[in-house]
Amino acid sequence: MSYLRLQGVEKRFGSVEVIKGVDIEAEKGEFVVFVGPSGCGKSTLLRMVAGLEAVSAGSVFIDGVDVTYLEPAKRQVSMVFQSYALFPHMSVRDNIAFGLKMNKVPKPEIDRQVAEAARILQMEALLDRRPRELSGGQRQRVAIGRAIVRHPKLFLFDEPLSNLDAELRTQMRAEIARLHTSLGVTMVYVTHDQVEAMTLADRIVVLRAGRIEQIGAPQELYDKPANTFVAGFIGSPKMNFVKVSATGEGLTHPSFIAPVRVSGAPPSGDVLLGLRPEHLLFEDGPVRIGLTADIVENLGGATLIYGQTASGETLSLQTPGRRVLKKGEPFTAGFDPRKAYLFTPEGQAI
Amino acid sequence: MRRLLHALGLLAVFLFAVFPFYWMVSSSFKTQNDILASPPVWLFQPTLDNYRQVFADEKVTRAVLSSLIVAVCSTGLSLILATPAAYALARFEFRGKADLWFWFISNRFISPIVLALPIYIIARNLGLLDTHLVLILIYVTFILPIVVWIVTDFFRSIPRELEEAARLEGASQFAIFWRIYLPLGMPGIAVSAIFGFIFSWNELLYALVLTRRDVQTAPVVATSFMSGYEIPWGKIMATGTVIVLPVTVFALLVSRHMVRGLTMGATK
Repeated sequence: MSYLRLQGVEKRFGSVEVIKGVDIEAEKGEFVVFVGPSGCGKSTLLRMVAGLEAVSAGSVFIDGVDVTYLEPAKRQVSMVFQSYALFPHMSVRDNIAFGLKMNKVPKPEIDRQVAEAARILQMEALLDRRPRELSGGQRQRVAIGRAIVRHPKLFLFDEPLSNLDAELRTQMRAEIARLHTSLGVTMVYVTHDQVEAMTLADRIVVLRAGRIEQIGAPQELYDKPANTFVAGFIGSPKMNFVKVSATGEGLTHPSFIAPVRVSGAPPSGDVLLGLRPEHLLFEDGPVRIGLTADIVENLGGATLIYGQTASGETLSLQTPGRRVLKKGEPFTAGFDPRKAYLFTPEGQAI
Repeated sequence: MRRLLHALGLLAVFLFAVFPFYWMVSSSFKTQNDILASPPVWLFQPTLDNYRQVFADEKVTRAVLSSLIVAVCSTGLSLILATPAAYALARFEFRGKADLWFWFISNRFISPIVLALPIYIIARNLGLLDTHLVLILIYVTFILPIVVWIVTDFFRSIPRELEEAARLEGASQFAIFWRIYLPLGMPGIAVSAIFGFIFSWNELLYALVLTRRDVQTAPVVATSFMSGYEIPWGKIMATGTVIVLPVTVFALLVSRHMVRGLTMGATK
């Protein structure tokens, strides 16, 4: 049996169904990321694992134990909140020691544990400060310290980096990844940021409106998205979608014909072609699309170009190096049909 | 010019607020002749005679002690009862919660004089007249709603995540209340304690109605001097100063908590 298992989990607030039957399994030591747009229910799901939110239907198992109706404290999980939730009237030391004190751990043992956590997180010098005297990154570290001293079975993170500035976010992201490898613990991490999901996760759970859209390794979601939602959510910049029709010659569009044989296309022949911006080549590639330049963003090492097809669809392409294009200037974007994604008009992968 | 007017306005308000206080304190150091002098004397030879009289009068010292007992006990009891109630009102959902909350404050709608007679009769039948207990109990009914209202509001402003984090860490319901809500609600608790203490300390009506000789409180004793042929203004003023002093010290002691933003740095 898996280490963490959610079985048919549902959540209703009154008549509003927030989580609509979710099944998730995670192995011991895995880093699982719940990702989705705001309001998709990912935080609610995490809070149900923690026990802070009651489960309306279904069961939650941690390490083989049914914890569905167990008190949060008895589940042996630790959580890092988006707001850190540090106790403002206590020193860093007391914040970290709080859980151990509540669980009547002997004083010498508490001191040892706190020292150990401080060493791991490199904050020995901060132990006697109050949370308000710390920077955002340091507070984050204290919150993580409070989580690790209890040696929980499960670490839960609820958008822990969203209050930090970009640079610190990258740094803390690496630190969390390092912590995961060095402690070898199971982590469940909620974020709306697909970059965090891609970089941290062993497995990503993509959620939308209380349902799982797809579960898989980051590369798997990138390579084989189950539908247009996942395809659009994973990867940055967003995937382009173009309506084409599957005919005898291949995929036809007013601007191009791609020699792709489609099996499983709907009878109407309507197909959505998905093209990642990084797979579109500037003035290169076997299949060419004529575009006129609209907005050109210079990213330093790469250029992001938004172009319009003759039929008015906007496509984005990301190309290495610097490209100078004037608005309205014609150019072609090419792609390798083997790197194209195909979806039904309803959005399911073909 | 604007600033000058502003300063003058502030000065006027300041004088208006502080002058009676100054007059009381300065008169307490004057002789009866100086007090009654017309026009008033601003420079005088200070005397401690009034204070000697006050502290020699056993009635006054006993009254101050009574006031202290009643105010400390009624405020303390109100805090003990009201803070858990405030926690429940701030954080739990239960039937009739809104009504209960309103009921606490609606107790204060009624004019105290209306209830004075019924309470006198009840106290007499219970044999509680002229005891500290009856005043403590009555004052609790006044102070408790104020504490509930102020502290509930404070507790509501404490981020819920703090409670959730504590719950995950294994803190019991009582530990959350004791270690998180009480310390973080301190500014609100301090403010309501000051209100409660000052109310008890200054209350005159019920103290007058419910006590006789044994447990007269300080305001009752101070007013009792206003009888006879000659009103001893100096002694009254000295008594007044003695009455005001503890409340002022108390307020100064807790004011630190009132201005300190304790929740800063808790969350983002």
